[in-house]
Amino acid sequence: MSSKSQGVLSLLLVVAALIAACAPAPTPEPTQPPEPPTSAPEPTAAPTEVPEGETYKIGFSASITGPGSSLGEPERNSAEMIAQQLEDQGGIVGPDGVRHDVEIIIYDDESNPDTTVSVVRRLIEEDQVQVVVAGTLSGNSLAIVPVVTEAEVPYISMASARSIIQSPETGETYPWVFKTPQENVHSAQWQALYLQNQGITKVCHLYENTSYGQDTFAGAQKAFEEPGVEIVYSATFERTDTEFGAQMAGVQSSGCEAVVVGAIPPGASTVTVALRDFVPDLPVIQGHGTCNQAFIELAGPAAEGIVTPCGRLLAAETLPDDDPQKPILLDYIADYTAFTQGAPISTFGGHGWDGVMWAVEALGSLEEGMSLADQRAAVRDYIESNISGWPGTGGVFNITPTDHLGLTYEALTFVKVEGGQWVYFPETDW
Amino acid sequence: MRVGADGVGPDPSPMSGDRSLSRRALQVVAVLAILALAVAAVIALGSRLNFGPQQYLQLVLDGLRGGTIYALIAMGFVTVFNITGIINFAQGAFVMLGAMLAVTVYDSGLPLEPPLRLAVAVLAGIGGTTILGLLMERLTIYPARHHSTLTLIIITVGAYIALQGLALVAWGAKPYVLPAFSTLELQDTTLRFSGLVLKAQSFWIWGTTAVVLVALAFFFERTLTGKALRACALNRKGARLMGISVSRMSMLAFGLAAALGATGGIVVAPTTRPMYDMGLVLGLKGFVAAIIGGLVSSPGAVVGGLMLGVLENLAAGVTKPGLKDVFAFVLLILVLLYRPEGILRRRGRVVEQS
Amino acid sequence: MNRFGWLRRSPNVVAALAMAVVLLGLGMFEIVRPGGVDFSDLTGGLVTLDTMIRIGILTIVLVGMNLLMGYAGQVSLGQAAFYGLGAYASAILTARGTSLLRLPPVVAESWWWPWMAILIGMAFAGGLAYLIGRPILTLRGHYLAMATLGLGIVIYILFRENLGLPGSHITGSFDGITAVPRLRIGSFEVWPLSRYYFLVWACALLSMVLVLNIVNSRVGRALRAIHASEQAALAVGIDIAGQKLRALIVSAVLASLAGSLYGHFQAAVSPKPFDFGSSLELVVMSSVGGMASIWGAPFGVAVILILKEVLRSGLRQVLRGASGEHEIVVYGLLLIVIMIFMPEGVLVSFLRWLRRRWPASETIPAVEAA
Repeated sequence: MSSKSQGVLSLLLVVAALIAACAPAPTPEPTQPPEPPTSAPEPTAAPTEVPEGETYKIGFSASITGPGSSLGEPERNSAEMIAQQLEDQGGIVGPDGVRHDVEIIIYDDESNPDTTVSVVRRLIEEDQVQVVVAGTLSGNSLAIVPVVTEAEVPYISMASARSIIQSPETGETYPWVFKTPQENVHSAQWQALYLQNQGITKVCHLYENTSYGQDTFAGAQKAFEEPGVEIVYSATFERTDTEFGAQMAGVQSSGCEAVVVGAIPPGASTVTVALRDFVPDLPVIQGHGTCNQAFIELAGPAAEGIVTPCGRLLAAETLPDDDPQKPILLDYIADYTAFTQGAPISTFGGHGWDGVMWAVEALGSLEEGMSLADQRAAVRDYIESNISGWPGTGGVFNITPTDHLGLTYEALTFVKVEGGQWVYFPETDW
Repeated sequence: MRVGADGVGPDPSPMSGDRSLSRRALQVVAVLAILALAVAAVIALGSRLNFGPQQYLQLVLDGLRGGTIYALIAMGFVTVFNITGIINFAQGAFVMLGAMLAVTVYDSGLPLEPPLRLAVAVLAGIGGTTILGLLMERLTIYPARHHSTLTLIIITVGAYIALQGLALVAWGAKPYVLPAFSTLELQDTTLRFSGLVLKAQSFWIWGTTAVVLVALAFFFERTLTGKALRACALNRKGARLMGISVSRMSMLAFGLAAALGATGGIVVAPTTRPMYDMGLVLGLKGFVAAIIGGLVSSPGAVVGGLMLGVLENLAAGVTKPGLKDVFAFVLLILVLLYRPEGILRRRGRVVEQS
Repeated sequence: MNRFGWLRRSPNVVAALAMAVVLLGLGMFEIVRPGGVDFSDLTGGLVTLDTMIRIGILTIVLVGMNLLMGYAGQVSLGQAAFYGLGAYASAILTARGTSLLRLPPVVAESWWWPWMAILIGMAFAGGLAYLIGRPILTLRGHYLAMATLGLGIVIYILFRENLGLPGSHITGSFDGITAVPRLRIGSFEVWPLSRYYFLVWACALLSMVLVLNIVNSRVGRALRAIHASEQAALAVGIDIAGQKLRALIVSAVLASLAGSLYGHFQAAVSPKPFDFGSSLELVVMSSVGGMASIWGAPFGVAVILILKEVLRSGLRQVLRGASGEHEIVVYGLLLIVIMIFMPEGVLVSFLRWLRRRWPASETIPAVEAA
């Protein structure tokens, strides 16, 4: 069906729906909380006069407890926030004018791949969700991939590794899998640009001993090679480390000219403090996992002068007004702060928001009367072909059949800590 | 179930058999040879990274600081084990609770001058955790006191899970800040001499541990309660016959362990960013330190902690810091195999299981 | 009836048969789906097939652990490492067969290679248990528990750190190994879940029968004697170290088998399920089920896994706004309560209760395995 005739049809349907709504029918109160479906009700056959369709379900699972909880908590908050907003606005209306409640079923994956897979299977088979948004950590996301591929359910990951959406061996893009976070290799490309600009050719790379940290290192190895930046010393550290003598000894004796750090707070902050103590003259470049207020709060004066590539979310206010992301970012920040009563903004919450919003938008494109399998396929197709030029918190996404992320390094910008704040640090000022 | 009774009961001499003098001498030679090899390996690996004396000294200093924290936590393990025969897996939770309570009180906006506020926060952290430790013993260990040791250990695992979960509910998954004791700010005073870097907080850590050691010695040697606790550790049945309430001593032991753990958590807090799960790693390392020290002696725990801190830092520094814990636990296994009574050997010590 | 008198004398056989029949029935139920009702609907959506398979896999680990801990009296706080060895052996040998090990495609892509990999994993775990068992088993009581704790953590870190080598081409570090193939017999794929269920539970039942046989043989009596008193066992000429070592090897081999089954089930292997927390959880399961009983194994696993499922989906309805944080608190508290009130495990307590209720019945198995 061409888009024009689709538009005409949907217009007709909306008109029909309006007429139907004007008929003396009990208008449903949109704010009524949906009953938790204890026994799965058969999708109501033909809707009577009230154009109200089945409740759509988005399966959501994040690492709310366990080592990933500092990432999973803001993701969960974002999902709860969207659920609340959808409830307040009375669900979503499809192109056929039928209104649907949207239920977001939230589980905790305990930062454990076993629990993750169990929970995702439960979402798919028991809760019968149309789409799954899950996986705070890369390892957990990787474990989900075979499950959703077999079940043919669209899946949006909130973790950063490229291997989640694309086979590292064959380069094949997994058809059912998408992800929202920018990649560490994008960060590393910015770091390489900056290092090159500063005439630095020897760096040390310190990274947190987590999946994220290792990925920053892999990204740096890939991105630094071409501009001729050599990593002369690399070492891991733990988030819980209380002393960094081992890493600092390595940095001091390696003769590197700058230190690149791949970590998230609090590890990123404590290692920055140590670097300032031991090698106060070396520039420190962080990755995009650090660009939030928590990093500065936890590092204190040591954060001053740190530069990093950063998603636009945390520099939202300083962006030029014609930036396509700016209105969305400001809205998200206002909503999230209000919903969580002042919880700090984090990019991870943004990754969750992007994922759930893709799902909501795709569900809004469904017409009444499709089977669950068709709905799932339609959601997948919608995300693959319609999330294009789509401004979210992570960047302007351009998803294609071969790129299920749809971001380049330009999704990030470059920022610097000045006076305890992240400020925009454009290339012209380097 | 009989598992606990002797399955995990403390055993004073796990290695059986006497050793003749010549064999002893051979062992000494072997140990010396291994030590020499280890030093050679460290230097060889370090030269690969261009390490000079300054780097080695820094690693040792760092290790001594980290090791002191392990020692404080280890003393908590030792106290509980001596008096009840239980390995208290909730010890790590005490460490975390101490730090988190202190942070909360410090940030609560008490109308006090910062130094006084910090003092109150520290006391509240230790006091609050001690109360929780006493409560934990009364609510979970006491009702199960007739069960096997292993059952009691599993109960402490449950307590750890519940306490950490409660901390997650109360404080969320976000890291907090406790200011350095010297500056009362996030930024600590840094002392530098010939390239070495030392934080003022390190002296607080060492000082606190020294004070705690002296206080503990005084408590165990000079006070009636302390002597009663020691009697319990030596011979529970005998102590009971002498009219000592063993169950009260068990409660005291948990309270003391909680206080020790909390102290460790609070003094280390400014060097890290305390959050709800900080207890796991510190707790495990404290446990390793306690075993290296023989699990029954507080001085042993201190030596064990320092040794663990220095060795794991040196080994990690010259190889991969990611393998730090591997070295710690390999050391644990080696000590168990060759010196199961701990490095401060105390033969003939009888810890009777009731 | 007299003809079935032997049944009364061997409640283990009755129980094993009953369990097999029930499991077979449940599996058939899932395949046939009478009236569109599938397995999980029987439990109101609480217990899914996924959970049942996980119970089966961990039962295999626990059976070995109960032999080691409940009968030989040797506490292991590092059993998840052996479990992980199986998972990584299978994953590396199959998913990395051509890329890392340069196996010819005729082997790496054949249907029998993954089965061979399972056996290789078991042999490796058994061999490792033999090598480390000799020195470690001379330790007693707490000391063995601590040594296994250290060993478990060391092996876990080696998984996580690519065996200490640079890069991540062997174990895949944190992200682990993906694309572990499903098992096949010829061209018959042992997949989806409804087929895998039969394989897993067949292995679980077989290992239970195997260990029951060990327990009720001379070896079992020797192990119990060691557990009761090593001195006495020594006095009657039991080879203490040898018997303990055998128990350790059996438990390691079974754990490795379970790990392999896990690897092919999950299709992706990463280090987290083999860390210290998991070893501890295995001990918890063992204690909750009842350590000194082979039947306690499936019980303990089921109680813990189903408890988690109940908390996950049930707590939300009781406590509005409850989330992962609350689940974990309730889990910890329930664990304490179970251990306080049922210190010998849920199964033993349940059987006690049955016996009190019907004191005359002889078909209720003896409470103490000894």
